[in-house]
Amino acid sequence: MKDLLTPLFGDFYGNMIAILLNATQWTIYLSITAFVGGGLIGLVFTILKISPVKPLRWFASAYIWFFQSIPLLMLLFILGLGVPVFFQIDIPPWLAAGTALTLFTSAYMSEVWRGALQSVPVGQWEGGKALGMTFSQNLMWVVAPQAIRIATPATVGFMIQVIKGTSLAYIIDYNDLMRWGKKIANSQLDGAEPFIVFPIIALIYFALCFPLSCWSKSLEKSINKT
Amino acid sequence: MFDFRFYEIWRSEEFVNTLIEGAFNSFWLTTVGGICGFVLALILVLMQDKSLFIGIRLTSRIYVEFIRNTPFVVQMFFVAFGLPLLLDLQWSFHISALLAITLNFSAYFAEIVRSGIDSTPKGQIEAAQSLGFKKIAIFKDIVLPQAIAKVYPSLTSQFIFLFLTTGLISEIGVEDLTWAGRFISDRNFRDFEVYLVLTGIYMCMSWMFIFLLNSLKQKAFPWWGLK
Repeated sequence: MKDLLTPLFGDFYGNMIAILLNATQWTIYLSITAFVGGGLIGLVFTILKISPVKPLRWFASAYIWFFQSIPLLMLLFILGLGVPVFFQIDIPPWLAAGTALTLFTSAYMSEVWRGALQSVPVGQWEGGKALGMTFSQNLMWVVAPQAIRIATPATVGFMIQVIKGTSLAYIIDYNDLMRWGKKIANSQLDGAEPFIVFPIIALIYFALCFPLSCWSKSLEKSINKT
Repeated sequence: MFDFRFYEIWRSEEFVNTLIEGAFNSFWLTTVGGICGFVLALILVLMQDKSLFIGIRLTSRIYVEFIRNTPFVVQMFFVAFGLPLLLDLQWSFHISALLAITLNFSAYFAEIVRSGIDSTPKGQIEAAQSLGFKKIAIFKDIVLPQAIAKVYPSLTSQFIFLFLTTGLISEIGVEDLTWAGRFISDRNFRDFEVYLVLTGIYMCMSWMFIFLLNSLKQKAFPWWGLK
């Protein structure tokens, strides 16, 4: 990577960009962890939220409401600084950041998916029931396939929020792109002034997010067409 | 096992005062930033009007896409540490925070307002044209009020979502609510309780914002929803 960048940007900037790109992989890992973990937990809560059992629905509503109204920053502080002090345990930054982002993602994802499921006409549910399908069969074979198509644009769009959210993890010492960028910007080297480093970081984040944003928009268009 | 010591927070008058001051700072910075961001968003939307030169439209689009696809932290650090060096000017971190919030909010608001304007029925514009309205008047009196009234719920929820991210301005030394939390937990070492309390205050503040914005809607658009 460095050998490729040095001739392009010169010794100093080639090195700097190599370091930043190297740190970007941790941003990507954290995003994927949060997205997969949050997606799985979100799926569980989506099903709980529409399940026929009332207490389960309340529980899911309370969970979604709570994690949607608490700032991500507070979640990171509680898990990264509060829990280790309170329970006298050692939590590595990646675990705290991963858990916080997973909880954050799961709440928003299940809200998106619930909306998609509920936008499927009631007649589809009733039709499945009339054919003698159970709740889970109905959900799996009739309603979910229709809902997935509606939910994809918003799901892809939320991936952008997750990637942007990972930039907060530097606060609890997770070594991602933001933290390395801040280190370089604080280094007082000539050529590593904040007004050069931060736009580079912004461009790297932009390169991660913009394709997703375009993808989400084109998905939305293709759904509106049919 | 659970040994909560919330009293460690309100025991000291200094801590309580810091919290109140922090909440107040968070409130006014978000409110002023939100209003400035909304005004900037309207300008951005106006710049995307089809009759304008493509360069202006493109500038506005690129700005909106760039802000929406980069994290608030990066924008804030650029505004707080990059811009003063670049322009060789000095300003307080309150101004930096306000500027960062304004720039960030404006892009999100612009995107929402634009979607509202795009969905305005053509008949409204044609009716206004046939009544002899000028172009500016059509936009100001016919299109914009309807568009904003229509997207008002999205604007509200986006505002609340963005309000929850403004805690970051504590990172550049602005004494907001999150800063107050760090100040207290650095002194009494009860991080867990302090951040739980902070979370509660943030929730209460977002309810307050929702309440204020909803009453504002009834004041500003009393005709909306009437048949």
